[in-house]
Amino acid sequence: MRILFFAQLKDATGCDSAELAPPAPLNAEQLWAELLTKFPRLAAHRASVRLANNCEYAAPDAVFGAEDEVAMIPPVSGG
Amino acid sequence: MEIEIQLTPGPIAENISPPPSLGAVGAWLEFRGVVRKEENEQTISALEYEAYPDMAAREIRRILESLGVKFPCQAAKVIHRVGVIPVGETAIYVGVASPHRGEAIALLAEFMDQLKQDVPIWKRRALSINPIRDDMRSLTPAPKESETPHVVSCKSLDEALAEIRSHGQPLPAVRAPLAEAFGHILRETVCAPSDFPDGDRSTRDGYAILQNDASGIFQVVDTLHAADWKPRRLKPGEAVRMATGAALPCENLRVLMQEHVERDGDNIRITKREAALNLRQRGEDVKAGQPLVPAGARLDAGRLALLAAAGCAQPLVAPRLRVVHFTTGNEIVPPDQTPRPGQVRDSNSILIRGLLQKFPCDVVQAHLPEDFEVAKQLVSTFNFQPSTFNLLLISGGAGVGDKDFTRPLLEWLGFEIVFSQVNIRPGRPLIFGITGGASVLASQLVGSLAPPDRVRMAFGLPGNPLSHFVCFHLFVAAALAKLTGAEPEIFRRGRLAAKLDDPPCPRETLWPARRGPAGLHPLAWASSGDVTCLRETNALIWVPVNRGPIESGTEVEFLSTD
Repeated sequence: MRILFFAQLKDATGCDSAELAPPAPLNAEQLWAELLTKFPRLAAHRASVRLANNCEYAAPDAVFGAEDEVAMIPPVSGG
Repeated sequence: MEIEIQLTPGPIAENISPPPSLGAVGAWLEFRGVVRKEENEQTISALEYEAYPDMAAREIRRILESLGVKFPCQAAKVIHRVGVIPVGETAIYVGVASPHRGEAIALLAEFMDQLKQDVPIWKRRALSINPIRDDMRSLTPAPKESETPHVVSCKSLDEALAEIRSHGQPLPAVRAPLAEAFGHILRETVCAPSDFPDGDRSTRDGYAILQNDASGIFQVVDTLHAADWKPRRLKPGEAVRMATGAALPCENLRVLMQEHVERDGDNIRITKREAALNLRQRGEDVKAGQPLVPAGARLDAGRLALLAAAGCAQPLVAPRLRVVHFTTGNEIVPPDQTPRPGQVRDSNSILIRGLLQKFPCDVVQAHLPEDFEVAKQLVSTFNFQPSTFNLLLISGGAGVGDKDFTRPLLEWLGFEIVFSQVNIRPGRPLIFGITGGASVLASQLVGSLAPPDRVRMAFGLPGNPLSHFVCFHLFVAAALAKLTGAEPEIFRRGRLAAKLDDPPCPRETLWPARRGPAGLHPLAWASSGDVTCLRETNALIWVPVNRGPIESGTEVEFLSTD
């Protein structure tokens, strides 16, 4: 599972992406738990970050599998 | 509705037309979002935008399609610029075509609202500075390379390269201290945080006066040394003693060389007037917000120095690569042993190690016996296990049967073979494979605890050293560039300094050559078994299929190998 970080999340984690190898698919809660263990500084952003799975915003009940590309989307500011 | 979406790092064109397929439309509504000179009440020079390109394009399309149902329009074109965008330039362009203006205006308004909520594009940071002086001379553009970059047009070589470049993705970038970043590939463009130099500086020992002060005698009101910072406004008839390199006390000054004045106590008198200002102007080297080192650049000593000067102490770079290299074949003996008849010394191990030097990597090398079953056993009981690796290279032996050996071994290790021949010489029996993570290798060789990187690549390299040399520079380098995010090496144009005497060949040829001041000298080379040309080779000339001899002075395409 590839995790992508954007904008200020790159500064919080010190990297633009990370690999996770969960033994089974994770729901959003479990995914956050994994990520916060690895990158505790993400905690401050949790409330404002939306998750995307394979280039689409993930529904609250989405599950994330080993082959998925998961993006952490902080509040956007394009235009 | 016809939809076109672009994310571009460069400026957005001044004139954009509706799609010609529409013919005459009733309304073509255009909107340009321009970078304001103020951001969060700060005066800025530029904004840096970042995007998640695949998803951004998808979201824009989704929004347009759903709005198209509500407001029937014929076409929409959205261009969003990313990277550093100077104040006053367009960050987003939207064009909407519709039979009547009402639908287009409504669609545009809702589109912009939704874009600002859902499309993954970010204003990464504002580059803020004090206003730059108007009379700043414009910076000279970077000199053009004398050898024009050119993409190889040959199909089968192109196809092989395209396959390699289409697989895998750059490894996750990491932040590294400057002292550990040498040779790594930069993954994020670093821009100048301020003007260099940050103010006008004297290039002479002398006296600063107002630029258009016509006085003949001046009163020396202050003395400035190299590290001094003492701003003050000068009046006509006043001068400040300046040391070379010292910051001038204000703008619009010039420096009189001390040789051109006579000093008498606190006064100086001009003995010679000259046109030169004798100063380095603020922003003369680079202006705030301009890119200093682009993403994809290899960090050499000079670029690292530039990053240090810009205060980028922890650049975002490609990680150190892990490479496993196996040699195969019973006929190979180590360099310190005397080969029996029919055997040769192993020159490929050190060749590969040397070629990999250009990329920061950890290399593990081992020799596999020719018997497949024994080789498999050795691989699975590897006693110097790397925790994981990114690239596997297998050098085929020169002996019979090695072609059958590499491919089954790669397949047994879980690799999918993408191609196993390229129509080039030397180096035709080249094998390229990829694997997605879970494989025999992952569990047996690597151990299951380490998270596997998403894609690994493998090459089976044809046995002789010259083929290794050619295949490395053409194909392995392309894979390494992909994994690290480096700018790929490209073919350039150059002239032959001597005749390339080769009969027409049904394969594309990569001819070893020495590139010197007079042009490219083809080296003596008859078969892929010849190795002495490696002593001089620093370029590979591309010879198209059935091209035949090429006369001296002809323009050819070549790949630099040094």
